Amino acid sequence: MISSLALRSLVSNAVRSLHQTAARASAGGMFVHRDTPSNNPETPFEFTQENMKRVEAIMNNYPEGHKAGATIPVLDLAQRQHGWLPISAMNKVAEILDVAPMRVYEVATFYTMFLRQPVGKYHIQICTTTPCMLCDSDSILEAIKNKLGIKVGETTTDKLFTLSEVECLGACVNAPMVQINDNYYEDLKPSDIEQIIDELKAGRVPLPGPRNGRFSCEPAGGLTSLTEPPPGPGFGVRADL
Amino acid sequence: MLRLPTLSRALAGAAHSKGSIPTSNNVRTSVRALSNLVEVFVDGMPISVEPGTTVLQACEKVGVQIPRFCYHDRLSVAGNCRMCLVEIEKAPKPVAACAMPVMKGWNILTNSEKTRKAREGVMEFLLANHPLDCPICDQGGECDLQDQSMMFGSDRSRFAEGKRAVEDKNIGPLIKTIMTRCIQCTRCVRFASEVAGVEDLGTTGRGNDMQIGTYVEKMFLSEMSGNVIDLCPVGALTSKPYAFTSRPWETRKTESIDVMDAVGSNIVVSTRGGEVMRILPRLNEDVNEEWISDKTRFSYDGLKRQRLTQPMVKDASGQLVNTSWEDVLTRVAGALQGVQGSEVGAIAGGMVDAEALVSLKDLLNRLDSETLCTEEIFPMSGAGTDLRSNYLLNSRIAGIEECDHLLLVGTNPRYEAPLFNTRIRKSWLHNELQVALVGHNVDLSYSYNHLGESTQVLQEIAAGTHPFCKVLSQAKTPVVVVGSSALQREDGAAILKAVSAISQNARASSGVEEGWKVLNVLHRVASQVAALDMGYKPGVDAIRKNPPKVLFLLGADAGCITKADLPKDSFIIYQGHHGDVGAPMADVILPSAAYTEKYGTYVNTEGRAQQTRVAVTAPGMAREDWKILRAISELAGVTLPYDTLDEVRRRLAEVSPNLVRYDDVEEANYFKQANELSKAVNQSLLGAPLVPPQLTLKEFYMTDSISRASQTMAKCVKAVTEGAEAVDEPSIC
Amino acid sequence: MAAYTNIVRRAVGQLTGHGGIKGFFVQLFRANDIKTGALVGIDKYGNKYFQDNQYFFGRHRWVIYTTEMNGKRTVWDVDGSMVPAEWHRWLHCITDDPPTTHPPEPKKFLAKVHQINLSGTLNCYVPYSTTRRKIHEWVPPKVGEQ
Repeated sequence: MISSLALRSLVSNAVRSLHQTAARASAGGMFVHRDTPSNNPETPFEFTQENMKRVEAIMNNYPEGHKAGATIPVLDLAQRQHGWLPISAMNKVAEILDVAPMRVYEVATFYTMFLRQPVGKYHIQICTTTPCMLCDSDSILEAIKNKLGIKVGETTTDKLFTLSEVECLGACVNAPMVQINDNYYEDLKPSDIEQIIDELKAGRVPLPGPRNGRFSCEPAGGLTSLTEPPPGPGFGVRADL
Repeated sequence: MLRLPTLSRALAGAAHSKGSIPTSNNVRTSVRALSNLVEVFVDGMPISVEPGTTVLQACEKVGVQIPRFCYHDRLSVAGNCRMCLVEIEKAPKPVAACAMPVMKGWNILTNSEKTRKAREGVMEFLLANHPLDCPICDQGGECDLQDQSMMFGSDRSRFAEGKRAVEDKNIGPLIKTIMTRCIQCTRCVRFASEVAGVEDLGTTGRGNDMQIGTYVEKMFLSEMSGNVIDLCPVGALTSKPYAFTSRPWETRKTESIDVMDAVGSNIVVSTRGGEVMRILPRLNEDVNEEWISDKTRFSYDGLKRQRLTQPMVKDASGQLVNTSWEDVLTRVAGALQGVQGSEVGAIAGGMVDAEALVSLKDLLNRLDSETLCTEEIFPMSGAGTDLRSNYLLNSRIAGIEECDHLLLVGTNPRYEAPLFNTRIRKSWLHNELQVALVGHNVDLSYSYNHLGESTQVLQEIAAGTHPFCKVLSQAKTPVVVVGSSALQREDGAAILKAVSAISQNARASSGVEEGWKVLNVLHRVASQVAALDMGYKPGVDAIRKNPPKVLFLLGADAGCITKADLPKDSFIIYQGHHGDVGAPMADVILPSAAYTEKYGTYVNTEGRAQQTRVAVTAPGMAREDWKILRAISELAGVTLPYDTLDEVRRRLAEVSPNLVRYDDVEEANYFKQANELSKAVNQSLLGAPLVPPQLTLKEFYMTDSISRASQTMAKCVKAVTEGAEAVDEPSIC
Repeated sequence: MAAYTNIVRRAVGQLTGHGGIKGFFVQLFRANDIKTGALVGIDKYGNKYFQDNQYFFGRHRWVIYTTEMNGKRTVWDVDGSMVPAEWHRWLHCITDDPPTTHPPEPKKFLAKVHQINLSGTLNCYVPYSTTRRKIHEWVPPKVGEQ
């Protein structure tokens, strides 16, 4: 009886931790805004001249009366410019698109790739979903933690690296993998990720892609099927046709 | 211009189909005749509906109620609660009835095994994260979730994990939020963006962490905010002033009329033990639909404060002291008898019922006095108040929905008549209404063409030289609304003349049919139309010019006349329900009943007579107004010939039959004649800009003696000026 | 025989033991009884306490009230609460020791002057209302404040 209770509480704890969604873990905490010294309506944010031109171009993709459709690309532009999305940037986007700020907040809080908390220069997103986990993404995570001395969701003191754990990034065939800013680093071993971090610290951006010599997502041990040359036209077709 | 989300636009056609086609058994044959109708079956019952009708509306037509949380008649369709799932025969999956347009030949099964199982499943999901705090929840007893889980839910849940908790939001002193109870139906979000026009609410986050809120700390600043309390199907949004005071089954409901503005919103007064507990809206498609303004809903605590409960009289030292009815009535009668008829005057305030108005008028007329005034001014030159069409909102509130061009003059309908403004917004949103405004540039919750705030603009439009005239001449069904605040000015007659001319021109150019009314006056106080119908003189000029020896103030609290305007020895009688502006200057105070405490007739700005009913008894010694006047008349030797309410109303019918034709609007006409008469006015427009007195939300809350006595309204003003934290009280729950 | 004489003696004693005819009727009408007994004591207000163990238990101790107590005339208007606390114990057989022989221990909560119950009189205690007022009436401004 007691053991079954204990088991049950164990199970329910495990399930409960699942309820903490990735959205909350990565994109920065709560879904309400609290003014902080680094993130408040007075935080300076202004699109650069160059980006403003891009905004115009994005907005021109949408017909008259549907400017709100440009919310996601313009927010993305703002994030690329500023590194993350302060509340002032969202307000700016709302102003440009002529929608209520709330409508922009809704979008920004919905998508986990909009970061509403400051992040380091390099945002390391490590995938720990099943395929990566089976390929020992835990060791990669440990390596990053030890290398940088931070836990998941934290930023290094030199504001260079932020580590977050994310759900599947769609590169399962190259598991384990991490995404650092826009680059995928795949087929990692702990030594690889340490080397990548060292490179980044040194100010260089290492070449993205698989680290085990593969070009892309072809089978790691060479082809196992379709090895013979492809048959020509008329293969398997009735002779009398 | 795109003003509405596309989804609801697609469904707009469905809304039109409401209330047509009675159901009958031989629909099958009639369908062939009306080929554009779609025949569907609800549980085997045939019904033909217009194409685009949703499954839910089709079911409603045959009288089958589909359970729902997120769907609301007056809001766009969201389709996110999934409670309205029903089975369609031969369809693979249950469909959301609120969002699915019917197709020909569908058989909708509203009570099949699959449907019931779907509902039960949805209910289990909804309850998974809903706290089990019904015993301490203010929605208990009127909770959709409670009712529907009793009706359609299962008695147990398989959810053994921890429930989600959401932080409460502080969105002002009126609405209490317990966000953990929220089921994310987004009715409040849609209400805020569609009806109130304040896009402050939204959904943030996703999945299990999704929540409703303002994201940034912010008040829900709207004059209609209280309606989200009614909309919320659970106890997430409840009334702060009403919190923990009573349960719906404990209260008595009295159907009544609101008198805070001239719209005459239909309300239900909930009372318990002789105390007004809260005020709720009542459905009236012609007036307020199912919304009411915050002042209507929350100023009821003003009915319990600053009340006059005892007759009072000034003693030798000039101090008002309590006394008996016999004493005050004899004093008043003596004062009335002691002077010439012409030396008696009366001013009627903004919340006086028609019964009191007619009694006062009869009393003074019998004493040979004709000096009966209202506090609100209306220009008397030209047609003045002789033609009823001159001072009514002739197009009616619902008529705005048929109008295509609206010109507002010197008014801020958002705060002077919030429900009228809601209609304008509705029409602006759904019917492409074009609005233009002459007057101060205010936030009306919809976009409009601001023509300027000087009277010069008005003159130019009247003369046809303004560019806007081109726009107006394109109008098929134009409407011009002038605010009564603009007519309070010195040059009110000239403004009315200009507006009348604009209306006549617009009518001529539009070629609209004869019954269409163009000229409208938007009043601000509830008693004005009835008073003008009865022949009261608008404005207190007569009294200021010729100060009477005995002045009778009938609920006059606007402060039009002060002690300084009157000679030292004048005798002032104040009859009313609140110690506000009028009472301190009075020599005798006659306590009377407020609108929740009497049967009273009020005529709203469209000329619609409606009656209030007794919800609670008047406090202390206070009595109904007409009864007090009747008692005075007897002692003064000019007994009024009515002893019962019915007899008073018979007298009202004698004066003007429309006053007792309740819920009916009497047509008013003679616009042309009024316009001709107004040409005789030789008053020139002043240079001062047209600025209505209520410009921001802060000025909306406290406008009359009841709302000035209300602590809730005072809190609202404070919260608007100083932020929601200034009035934040530690919450109990 | 002796028993009969005893009854007669007690009867005569009851008829004559109250101070003549007037005293007899006063006693009859005030106490509704004419029984006599041993005077156990008189308290400081003048209430007299009697005992006669020949009566059945419960009727064997009684009090004849004083005619004036705490300034109130109590010839006819008597009340059970005129008995002070120390005599109450004895009268109700909580103890057999009358305060005459066993004076009560002085306690600070014992009243110096015993108070008669005020219930039903003008001075009775009326609890103030703890409910919220439903109506707050207007208080006119004081003269000269304006």
